[in-house]
Amino acid sequence: MGKIYEYKVLRVDLTNEEIKTEKISGELVKNYLGGRGLASKILYDEIDPKVDPLSPENKLIYATGLLTGTAASTGGRYMVVTKGPLTGTIASSNSGGFFGAELRFSGNDIIIFEGKASHPVYLSIMGDKVELKDASEIWGKPVYETTDLLIEAAGNKNARVSCIGPAGEKLVKFASIMNEKDRAAGRTGVGAVMGSKNLKAVVVKADEKQVEYFKDEMMKVVKKQTKILKEDGVTGEGLPALGTKVLDNIINSTGAYPTKNFQFAIFEDVDEVSGEALVEKGYLQSNTGCYGCPIRCARKTKLPNGRSGEGPEYETGWAFGADCGVNDLNAISEANFICNDLGLDTITAGATIACAMELYEKGYIDKDELENGPELKFGSSESIIYYTEKMAYREGFGDQLAEGSYRLADSKGHPELSMSVKKQELPAYDPRGVQGHGLNYVTSNRGGCHVRGYMISPEVLGVPEKLDPQELEGKPKWVMTFQDLTAIIDSIGMCLFTSFALGLDDYREIVNAGTQFEYSSESLLETGERIYNLERQFNLEAGILPEEDKLPARFDEPLPDGPQKGISTKYREILPEYYEIRGWQEDGWISEQKLKDMKIK
Amino acid sequence: MTLKVKFYSLFRINLKSAGTEYKLNSKITIAELIKKLDQDYDNYFTQKLLEEDRSISPGAIILVNGKNIIHLDKLETEITNKDTVTLFPPSAGG
Repeated sequence: MGKIYEYKVLRVDLTNEEIKTEKISGELVKNYLGGRGLASKILYDEIDPKVDPLSPENKLIYATGLLTGTAASTGGRYMVVTKGPLTGTIASSNSGGFFGAELRFSGNDIIIFEGKASHPVYLSIMGDKVELKDASEIWGKPVYETTDLLIEAAGNKNARVSCIGPAGEKLVKFASIMNEKDRAAGRTGVGAVMGSKNLKAVVVKADEKQVEYFKDEMMKVVKKQTKILKEDGVTGEGLPALGTKVLDNIINSTGAYPTKNFQFAIFEDVDEVSGEALVEKGYLQSNTGCYGCPIRCARKTKLPNGRSGEGPEYETGWAFGADCGVNDLNAISEANFICNDLGLDTITAGATIACAMELYEKGYIDKDELENGPELKFGSSESIIYYTEKMAYREGFGDQLAEGSYRLADSKGHPELSMSVKKQELPAYDPRGVQGHGLNYVTSNRGGCHVRGYMISPEVLGVPEKLDPQELEGKPKWVMTFQDLTAIIDSIGMCLFTSFALGLDDYREIVNAGTQFEYSSESLLETGERIYNLERQFNLEAGILPEEDKLPARFDEPLPDGPQKGISTKYREILPEYYEIRGWQEDGWISEQKLKDMKIK
Repeated sequence: MTLKVKFYSLFRINLKSAGTEYKLNSKITIAELIKKLDQDYDNYFTQKLLEEDRSISPGAIILVNGKNIIHLDKLETEITNKDTVTLFPPSAGG
């Protein structure tokens, strides 16, 4: 049996096809918890941050969280940590479903993939038997088919599969890793790193649950927290009923809903594509949930053409919808299904097409380059489907799209038209309409991202309290606290959505109950701070400098429409204070002393 | 000119209505609007938007022309015929 705070590590040398086991325990676990934190520490210690992300020298780490596979509510998540090819920053993508818990049950808490296989392979973990198997037959196949074939090959319908699709194999810079077909470790291109290693999948089925923790102590806390999650208006009612797409109308109404590549902040056809429309048009079949989840926010949907799957989520629906000026919910849902099956990050995929539409409409992309494909015009539902497929396979113009919006726009001489930070596309909130969220965008350790410090929660949704989105005072501290708290939640393997109802003290309580560690709320938050600093240090050593803590120039222009018309971004006014409260140098670097104090070096 | 009231999320789904309009004779406050809505929708909105002490429920979102009333005059925010009020129950996602 494996105690949850004694990690068993599988080290898989793909070049020589050798598998070894190791253990991690003690101070490292107390300082970095697990999941995102512990895997980031391993990556920082084991690779040169300057390595080419798609070279054999990069490592790909699958890591379960400290509480993954326990009874903790939503405690089923795993993270994939590596150096990302889209941004060149440390990448950590987080997924739910059931794969993470099954991996933990098998007694393998972390897998470190090194080198590069000479031919396509997959890692099979069937009980105690761990082996690399030939994947030549399934190379090239999409996610759904790959998943079905590997479950069949495992001879056990309860086996869990995490795999890449054609996009990962083709090294699309924003390829995802998918588990249970529709769950994604979506952002930062982790799937391309997997593809570069000739690694198609990880299949796991545990014989028995090898997860040992202080069960009686933990169950008391779980019972209390499950009740909180079920009774809360957001996690107990709103998310189960409408999922994340409840946000379309909220963000649009407040004038922060990026439209046509962030040229506007209001989408006039929002009623056609909103979460409410998904219900009213009859596409929504039911809600479903991940391992141990009382919230159950996932959507099972079915389109009039009979195609079914999960989603679209809010960010996806926006990326292919308002951002591309498309008001056709059927086409948006179809593009989402294609992304899942071919293994693409939906946010970057949609946002890259939106950028290409602006480039095309402004005359920076020639019609000839499209090779008879549909014209890249805002509002074209045909385009979002056609080019999503093309980019996954790197066919025709899709080969340029597969590099993401920054490299595409830069190659046309207009990098300013890529709505990205550190080369990763911004998600569905205009930073001019939510100033703290803008600060979070520029300081996120994986570039343009909303799940590193979700300031939308206090600034728009009023959770845990309502802050004025245009007020600057106090925002740096809020951003820092949200970023550090998120690092904790990711590292213990719970879902970020629990934080709509739970707070720091609740996370301390559940961690201490399960491990009998003795964190105070302050010392646990310091652990989150340590993880955030380590990621930042990795990026600095990788050559991602503080000068890149910035938004595209478009956001210095005033919002053209909506209730916040006339306002531009103000992050520069609060960035120095953010550096200061982080204890960083004025120039954004972290001092050697700070790194020593935080036990990073 | 009318005052437009828009319902979203569970309000829209549960009430099977996208909203309503009122022709007002003079300015009213949001608190008065909620009373008006209660008469038309069986006391639904007081229950969903307000606490027992008649303060705004945590997480409930009431916008006047896109601005949250918490940053205006809260329930005393005045509205007239040209305004749009948008109502959401506690919601989140991302």
